[in-house]
Amino acid sequence: MEFIVSASTDIGNTKRTNQDSYHVRVYRTGEGRVVFAVLCDGMGGFDYGEIASAYVVRSFFSWAGERLAGVLASDHPDQWLRSDWNSLIEYCNGAIARFASRGKHVIGTTLTAMLITQQRYSIVNVGDTRAYEIAEKLCQLTKDQTVVAQEVREGILTPDEARRDPRRNILLQCVGASEEVHPDFFFGETRENAVYMMCTDGFRNELSEEEIFQSLHPDRLTAWEVSGETERALINLVKQRQERDNISVITIKTF
Amino acid sequence: MALETGALLDGKYRILHEVGRGGMSIVYMAINEKANKTWAVKEVRKDGVLDFEAVRQGLIVETEMLKKLRHPYLPSIIDIIEDESTLVIVMDYIEGIPLSKVLSEYGAQPQEYVIEWGKQLCDVLSYLHAQTPPIIYRDMKPSNVMLKPDGNLALIDFGTAREFKERKVEDTTCLGTVGYAAPEQFGGLGQTDARTDVYGLGATLYHLVTGLNPGSPPYEMKPIRTVNPRLSSGFEKILLKCTQRNPEDRYQQCFDLRYALEHYEEIDERYHRKQKRRLLIFSLALLTSLAFLVGGFWTGRESQKLTSDYYEQKLDEAKQSTDYQKKLELYELCIDMPDKGGVPDAYLGMIQLFKEGDARFSVEEANILNRQIKTHLKDLKGNPRDFSDLCFEVGKLFWYYYDYGTEAGDNQIARMKGAIDWFDDAVRYAPEQTEKTTMATVYAAIGTFYRDIAIKTIEGADKGLYKPFFDQLKELIGTVAADKEESEIVRLELLELGRSALQQYAGRFKADGILEIDMLNMCETISQINRGLTTTTRKTEEMKSEIRDRIIETRKAIKAVFVSGGED
Repeated sequence: MEFIVSASTDIGNTKRTNQDSYHVRVYRTGEGRVVFAVLCDGMGGFDYGEIASAYVVRSFFSWAGERLAGVLASDHPDQWLRSDWNSLIEYCNGAIARFASRGKHVIGTTLTAMLITQQRYSIVNVGDTRAYEIAEKLCQLTKDQTVVAQEVREGILTPDEARRDPRRNILLQCVGASEEVHPDFFFGETRENAVYMMCTDGFRNELSEEEIFQSLHPDRLTAWEVSGETERALINLVKQRQERDNISVITIKTF
Repeated sequence: MALETGALLDGKYRILHEVGRGGMSIVYMAINEKANKTWAVKEVRKDGVLDFEAVRQGLIVETEMLKKLRHPYLPSIIDIIEDESTLVIVMDYIEGIPLSKVLSEYGAQPQEYVIEWGKQLCDVLSYLHAQTPPIIYRDMKPSNVMLKPDGNLALIDFGTAREFKERKVEDTTCLGTVGYAAPEQFGGLGQTDARTDVYGLGATLYHLVTGLNPGSPPYEMKPIRTVNPRLSSGFEKILLKCTQRNPEDRYQQCFDLRYALEHYEEIDERYHRKQKRRLLIFSLALLTSLAFLVGGFWTGRESQKLTSDYYEQKLDEAKQSTDYQKKLELYELCIDMPDKGGVPDAYLGMIQLFKEGDARFSVEEANILNRQIKTHLKDLKGNPRDFSDLCFEVGKLFWYYYDYGTEAGDNQIARMKGAIDWFDDAVRYAPEQTEKTTMATVYAAIGTFYRDIAIKTIEGADKGLYKPFFDQLKELIGTVAADKEESEIVRLELLELGRSALQQYAGRFKADGILEIDMLNMCETISQINRGLTTTTRKTEEMKSEIRDRIIETRKAIKAVFVSGGED
């Protein structure tokens, strides 16, 4: 299986800084080529959100450099990923909190990290950045850790009410500003001829599911130039629709 | 001004040492040498705050307001000193520990304590709400409540609540920073008022009595009796009412809540039954006291002896019974008997029960065992030798049988992590070193290796960790796995642990100076023990044949490392 990887970001209409951070890399391992992608949406006054998001992305990649090959070669990669990523998140959470305690501001970041191997995908998620699978339909792989998403799951709000709710930006937890972080993990089989998309809330707030499905359909993303152009076109569309946040998206097509 | 240890503040307060650090401030302990009285000194550093003017305004208003407050459960503010670089607040030094620490060390707290604490917090919140204008605390959580040595509480830290109120709605924020915030605290859903604190207090009491943090997944507050059926239904109703989403549906004032807490037994379902029983007990008591007028002081010893017999009897009954639920109930009953919380027998019975049958120690079972041990911790620690043995058994239960995270398959790592603290305690409380404590040290070291290795590698500090790890594995395999008396699951788990470590870390072992021959020898030992092991269940038969098949690959992996000459 081959991959076409692309990623784009934009500061958006109103923010003074871009606090999103991401990195995507293809590794050659004993188990074939794998893609590792990490996307973080930082929060905190001034540039501090970016410090948090960049720190987490960097930590995950220094982990990947050291451990990824070994973990994939082990008998139970899923449980190793779970264990390693849990420790990494706990570690980053402590490090960011210590840094934040020097100033007044609460600093934190969401995190979506996704590993795609020839057989399986593994995701760890904290907060409201998302991962999707686009094949014959659009399928959200992650579960938002927000107050309104929780209430939708409990049946208190409808998805439509959640979109308009004034509390829609309240995360249940994030890396750096929660006493303890309890990430969600998602595992599944990698599909051929699919697009795995990761994005921050700024990217998806103003787009409908149908728009995402149509524009990022695997049949459309035939080369990385096309992926990049499509991403930028969608970002421009989102900006025209007056999105206020930073906007970031990663696409990984399998074929 | 920038305070430091030893400095004399305002000619009066000698700074002793730092006691805590908050978002924008540092708290020191200080002594007024003339009056020989200790104070807490909170320093707000201006350079640590980006928008100091706004903070200062807020703080000045707030401290001026707080300065006027006098309540036994609030620290009094004595002095406010300001200069160009800092703002310093001098206040009562509160001795004690925060309830969050009580929770993390001892788990869920007894209902009677929690209700008593609830009443005290109602008092102090009512006092705050009665000010003009009313002061809404907005940040009720266990870490903001100190338990003083006299058993009373103090509410601390007034800084954070206000900050939240002024937050812009469109900015993303994180719930972890605001305690158990009521829905209206997120903005856009109406003003915060006294009922906001009722919600926060309800959530705090929920956390204290169940040990479950409502601010952690699954972010919910279940009726407390679904967590612990022994709790009062009256108290359950009160907490449910406190934490209603709609402020209209909660207690409207803290004194309403206080009244309810005083009378929780009356809204208890059992109340009416109890009322009837009370009458009966009263008449019985009258009769017996008349009877014992003659027998006098024998009564005390007699009742003690009765409990002991009863304990043995129930313990026996539990051992005889074949019904899981019945056994569990009986063991729990034994543990809960007065003066019996420190006797290990019932706990050990329970551990045996959790191993039996499906050979799986479930998450629910772990919760029961944790709760029972935490509840009776004081009694258990009274007998360190037994407690150390018990910790060792619990450690092994986690290590070999814990069934956490089944969706990810057989989660060996989670099991080992769960066991570390138990083995550490087994070592800590043992009065002298024994074979068991040596084993416990080895288990704890291996568990710690697995827990920390991911972080150590990104810090580049993993080199040198692999050799001791290898030696510990060798030790466990040579003793426990080779021991024919040990249970087959334990032996097979260890063999697999050794095998998978060899497979995964052959390169790292080599880099740490382990020779090929040592690794191949360990492979051979594993293989031999595995061959000689008789299995009696399908599960263990499968484990055995997996080890047999996989050891071939492992041997290849070791050889590959030495042939290629490279690491990994």
